Amino acid sequence: MMQIELEDGQRATLGQQVERIAGASVLVALSLYFMIGGFELGLGSPFRPGTGAFPFFSGLVLLALAAAILWQDLHSTGITERPDWVSFGAIVSALMVFALVTERFGLLPATFLTVLTASAPDRSLPWWGKILLGLFMAALGYVLFIEALGLPFKAFRAF
Amino acid sequence: MEIIANFSGGLGTVLQPQTLLYCFIGVFLGTFIGVLPGIGSMAAIAMILPLSFYLEPTVAIVMIAGVYYGAEYGGSIASILMNIPGTPSSSITCIDGYPMARQGRAGVALFITSIASFGGGIIGMIVMAVLSPGLAKLALQFGPAEYFSVIFLGLIAASAVSNGGALRGIAMVMAGLMLSTVGIDLTTGDLRFTLGVPELRDGVHLVIVAMGLFGVGELIASIKANQTGRGRQEIDYTKFYPTRREWRASFGPIWRGGLIGSFFGALPGTGQTVAAAVGYAVEKKVSKNKDQFGQGAVEGVAVPESANNSATQTAFIPTLTLGVPGSASMAMVIGALMIHGITPGPRILTEHPELFWGLVASFLVGNIMLLVLNIPLIGMWVRLLQIPYKLMYPAIIVLICIGVYSLNNNVFDIWMTLLFGIAGYLMRLYRFEPAPLLIGFVLGPMMEEQLRRALLLSRGDAMVFLERPISGGLLAVSALILAYGLWTTLRKSRAPKTAHSNNKTSSNTGASS
Repeated sequence: MMQIELEDGQRATLGQQVERIAGASVLVALSLYFMIGGFELGLGSPFRPGTGAFPFFSGLVLLALAAAILWQDLHSTGITERPDWVSFGAIVSALMVFALVTERFGLLPATFLTVLTASAPDRSLPWWGKILLGLFMAALGYVLFIEALGLPFKAFRAF
Repeated sequence: MEIIANFSGGLGTVLQPQTLLYCFIGVFLGTFIGVLPGIGSMAAIAMILPLSFYLEPTVAIVMIAGVYYGAEYGGSIASILMNIPGTPSSSITCIDGYPMARQGRAGVALFITSIASFGGGIIGMIVMAVLSPGLAKLALQFGPAEYFSVIFLGLIAASAVSNGGALRGIAMVMAGLMLSTVGIDLTTGDLRFTLGVPELRDGVHLVIVAMGLFGVGELIASIKANQTGRGRQEIDYTKFYPTRREWRASFGPIWRGGLIGSFFGALPGTGQTVAAAVGYAVEKKVSKNKDQFGQGAVEGVAVPESANNSATQTAFIPTLTLGVPGSASMAMVIGALMIHGITPGPRILTEHPELFWGLVASFLVGNIMLLVLNIPLIGMWVRLLQIPYKLMYPAIIVLICIGVYSLNNNVFDIWMTLLFGIAGYLMRLYRFEPAPLLIGFVLGPMMEEQLRRALLLSRGDAMVFLERPISGGLLAVSALILAYGLWTTLRKSRAPKTAHSNNKTSSNTGASS
């Protein structure tokens, strides 16, 4: 398997290399997207820069920087912080639940379910504790945002 | 005399019941959020921003400023009691604050923190009141080329000294600039990068970007960190009055920290963390008590607290007088002002004096509030830190969701926040700092507009940026900062290789011998 020497003298496998350069690769893709988009919008002239000039040249600079970072990352020791995919999944799911529930069922059910989803992976909190926390947050949301601040939210919605 | 008259006018504004109430809310909420480990002033401002839209501009900005310095102060509480810095700048306070807590002097450390923050805040406020009018007068001579260059300097300064290295910092600024072009181009009316989504016609909202990158991103990262529960212990906070010796030992560091912080706060890109670190280093050099540093020296708590709080106040100088934020928090302040239809810049002192001087006066009132609020509430903050994080983070995510949803009553904003939250967490893993991205995002439209104007006035001659003395000078300073940032990054990336090759050589020598 193809290996590459890192700055600490160790060697990385292909899979590790892909993980290492993923961040910089996204930047390369992003810069290309803005460059192509900017070019299509029109670059104009130095006297009158077109709509696409600023994103195009920003993308061009980013492309050069991303290439340098890509090279740097290929030889670095990679991700320094270990990802916490469980917490990541819980928070991402909680936001998705809020987005899906609030327009169909209202703020209170959305708040309750968001709390349950966010706290789901935490085994140290019993199920009744999660329900109580959800109910408390829903009540707090109602009192604070709908009653006190008068924000135009519906507490409950019909289908 | 003029400054005193203006300041009195500002005091009149800030002592209005409504302004006073929101100043208190800002300071209290800021401290509350800042106390939570891992949630910094950026996330605190992002959470409060939607509420500020319902207020008058002066009241809104006074509240946001209160959140800002309240969160910085709150961050120190977590640093002292748990050795977990609530904000990056309070990490310096950990060095002596936490040993003090372990020696049973947590109350004294928190008391000194309150006094030092107050002292630093007042010094910062005086510096801001004295320097701002002069700087604004100078900035009135600026044309589009100078504005472009000063924005460029702000971007370079903020990114070149970022923790992830100059390359990554500048890359994030560029990503922020590109992101700011999404939506209608105000000059031509063309749509840019909206992907046919009608909600993107007005661009991406500042709150969404900030809440996603800082709120959601930091929250995910802080869950695991807080589950480990490091540093949790019983703390005696009842004895909080310093001895006469401790009072005497704190006086000098508060002054020095305040002056050092004022200087670094006003420089774009440095901010409170650098101010606190430099203050600590200077104090360690000049103190008679050098040996105690790192083992619970009261000076080691007083100086970074005074420095970071004075830097918090003077960070408003370039933000308001030039319209150039030195940090991501200040970029949020600019964004908030623009949402209220106020363009920060030299004219703010003449067109909105009540806002500028109201803000300056609010620093005095807000810092008194911090002092009065926090000394009796030391016990409450300690108890708050003892609430398990498993109960805190679901509540925080609900507040983020409601805050974002309240912008337009549209769930599209939640989906966008989710997208930026994922990006924020991944950026953290790949050592890309979100702060330069946010600064680029806020300054992007201004930079593009000034660039277009400058080129139009010079009939397309790009040399205008170098030929005009102020603009050329600013670009030269930017080039120096950039060169320094790149040199440091290069040196850092070479260091492990050199160490490795040295190891190889020594192991080879060892083998041959």
